[in-house]
This record gives sequence, structure tokens and C-alpha cells, in this order.
Amino acid sequence: MGNYFSAERFINVFPKVISNLSVNLHIVFWSMLLGTILAIFVAVLRIRRVPVISGLLGIYISFMRGTPLLVQMMIAFYGIPIVLGNLFLNLFGINLNRLEPVIFVEIAIILNEGAFLGEIFRGAITSVPSVQAEAGYSIGMTGAQTFYRIVLPQAFKVALPHYGVDFIGVFQNTSLVFILGVVDLLGKAKTLGAATGHSLEGYLSAAIIYISFSLFLKGVFLLIENRLNNGTAKAV
Amino acid sequence: MSFSITSFFDSFKSALLYAPVTIKLTAITFVVSLLLGAVIATVRNYRVPVLSQFFAAFVTIYLGLPTMVALLLYNLLFMTFYSDVAAALHISVPISDVNPIFIGYITLIIGTTCSVSESIRGAFRGIEKVQYEAGYSIGMGKFKTLTRIIFPQMVPILLPGMQNSLIGLLKASNLVSAISVVEIMTGALLPSLMYYSYLEGYVAAALVYWMIGAAIEILAHFAEKNSGKYLKRTA
Repeated sequence: MGNYFSAERFINVFPKVISNLSVNLHIVFWSMLLGTILAIFVAVLRIRRVPVISGLLGIYISFMRGTPLLVQMMIAFYGIPIVLGNLFLNLFGINLNRLEPVIFVEIAIILNEGAFLGEIFRGAITSVPSVQAEAGYSIGMTGAQTFYRIVLPQAFKVALPHYGVDFIGVFQNTSLVFILGVVDLLGKAKTLGAATGHSLEGYLSAAIIYISFSLFLKGVFLLIENRLNNGTAKAV
Repeated sequence: MSFSITSFFDSFKSALLYAPVTIKLTAITFVVSLLLGAVIATVRNYRVPVLSQFFAAFVTIYLGLPTMVALLLYNLLFMTFYSDVAAALHISVPISDVNPIFIGYITLIIGTTCSVSESIRGAFRGIEKVQYEAGYSIGMGKFKTLTRIIFPQMVPILLPGMQNSLIGLLKASNLVSAISVVEIMTGALLPSLMYYSYLEGYVAAALVYWMIGAAIEILAHFAEKNSGKYLKRTA
């Protein structure tokens, strides 16, 4: 490889790239936090079968699942200032065209996660057998009590593995944000590559960081799952 | 600046023109990945020494790598080493004549193979041991048992997961736009570049993707209905 790759440059570049991991984690944190809250609403409204809203949510989920995240990000980036620009300028005095692109990225991921996590939560809640809810009612619990004390803890256990996979997916999806000009891991690798003329070391650093952090997250979720399964006897 | 219907239609037509690129990329990658994934899953299921450990480590690590990072890395490696390798192999095609979609194929095939092999491995667990024994008892070999008894039974188990993989792949194929392949999204943007109508271009691209995704869902629905027939008959 000789000229193309040098360990010296790699050692030089790696700390610079990893310092931008915080940008990715910032996106993951806010997207997952607000996305989870949105998803709970989506799941509850879908399960309750609220007439018109349920149909609209069906279209929303289908759109979010059927189109690439990159396209969604771009629509958020170009569309939100056009649709809401005047409103925000007159009401709050905020010029949406001047906002940081990272905010539009986060909005896109939040909306995307609202659909994906919403389906995960809905599946988890409906997977709890109806006998469980009836057991709650039979001992005189109210609807809300039954939901929070009996259905939700069981649904949580079903949803957790899927939630973990989705969480790692969001972390990996942050690799797209450099296209909108956010300087994250890849963005940094790219700018360093452009400045020095050697991109390979930067990209390799980004790849190593993505792989090790994904594996780390996987381990954390496995640990939580094992913790949760401690109370139950192993079936089969 | 506001939403213009005429530029939206221009973009939509342009996006449809490039839809075959995306569909071909998705379909070929999916079929190749399915075959390779089946091989990897079978190797790991039968615990072939060395190979199964290698694949286990490779799949675990590779699933941690985002497609975009892999794509940029392979693209860079290709750009850097193409001339040396081509000279060594006496290939006289200059790098400018090589379609970058090949890098897209390689990236998507490796990534999808890894995720598909995991689903197939999960499906192996859904088959009872009696089924293998039934095959051996009537004198079938290992390979024949696998292709005639085990794989057909895995189809209904696999279908829902495969539908998700296929739609995921359709969406991932969008990333090849980053290495300057013209597919649906970049195709939809071609008219936008003239009039700065980017929003219309992206909405048109989203609509085309949505239509293809819906078509996949409908096809998968029919496949699911038909594949489980023998199960429903006994139940």
C-alpha cells in the first residue's frame, strides 16, 4: 500500500475524527428521546383505532417505511423552510433558512422513528395475550391500572430487543448527515481528506468507530435484556 | 419560493425514467445476497470448522458498519488501487469508463448478505430435527434433504423478514447516489438543477420510492398467502 496508507497519518487523524462522535451521539440522543415519545402516541392512537387519525397514521407510517431516510432528510431540509418559513418569521422572528442543518436532520429522524418505533410498540402491546388484561379486570383493576401494571411491563420486554436493533440502526443512519453539511464522523473524515489529500485514514477511522460503537451498544442492550429476564423462569 | 406543480411533474417523469436503475440494483443484489446468505447460514448451521467461525466473526463485525461508510471506503479504495490492479491484470479500460454502480453492487451485496444470512439462520431454528431425520430415513443425502425438505419449509418462515429486507435494500440503494450513480433520487433532481426546485425533486423521488415499496408489499402479501398453504391445510 506504501504511499496510500501510513500508520503515522492514521494515528494523527483518529483522535480528530473520534472527537466528532459527540455530534452523532447528540443526534441519536435527541432523535431517540423525542422519537420514542412520538411513537408512544402513534402506537396508542393506532391501537385505539381513532377513526380519521388512524387512517392518516397508516399513510404516515407507510410513507416513512417506504422512502429512503436520505430523501426524507432532504424534504425536511428544503420543505420545512418553504412551508413554515413565513409563519415562524412573523410569529417568533426565527428565520428557518438560517437554522443549522442538524436540526432538520433531527426532525427527519424523529418523524422516521415515530413510525418505526410506533409499529414496534404497537406490535409489543398487541402481543400481550388478552387473558392478561382480563386477569387484571377480574381482580377489580381499572383500565388504566391494568394497562400500566400488567400489559405494559410485559409489552416492554417484547419490545426491548427490537428497540435495541432500532437504536443501533439510528446510530448507523447518522452516517448520512454529512450529505447535508453536518460535520460528524464522516464529515470530519471528509474535510480532513480534502485538506491533506489522504482520505483513506479518515474513512478507516470512521469505520472503526462505527463498528466498535455499534458492537458496544449491542452489548449494552444484551445486558439489559438479560437483567430483565432474571425474574422469569426459562421456558422450554 | 413555493411548490411548483410543473417542476414537480418534470422531476417525477425524470425519476420514473431512472427507476429501472434502482429496481435492477435492488433485484440483482437481493437475489445474489439470498443465495450467498443461504450458503453462509448453512455453513454456520452445520458448524463447518474454521469457515463457520470466520463467518460468525465477519457477520458480527460487518453488521456494525453503516452502508454509507462502507460505500465511501470501497469507492476510495477503488479510486486509489484501480490503476495498479488494472495494470497488473492487463485490463486496458480507463477508470473513467468504469461505471461506479459496480461499487454500489459490491457494497450492497456484502451488507445484505450479512443481514439475510442472519434471518436464514433464525429460520433454521424454526425447523424441527424430525424433518432432517425424515429425509435421512428415506435415504436422502444431506444435500438433498436440505434442498428438498428443509429449504421449502423455511420459505413461509422467511417471507415477512425478506419483505423487510427487500424494502430496506430498496431504500439503501438510494445511497449509491453518493458515489455519483444516477438513480431515482439524482434522476428526479436533474430538472431541479436548472430551476433550483429541489423540494419538488425530492418529493417526486419520495413518491416513486413509495410506489415501488407499495408494489413490493403487495407482492409479498400474495406470496405469504400462497406459501403457507400446506400449513393451513393441516391446521
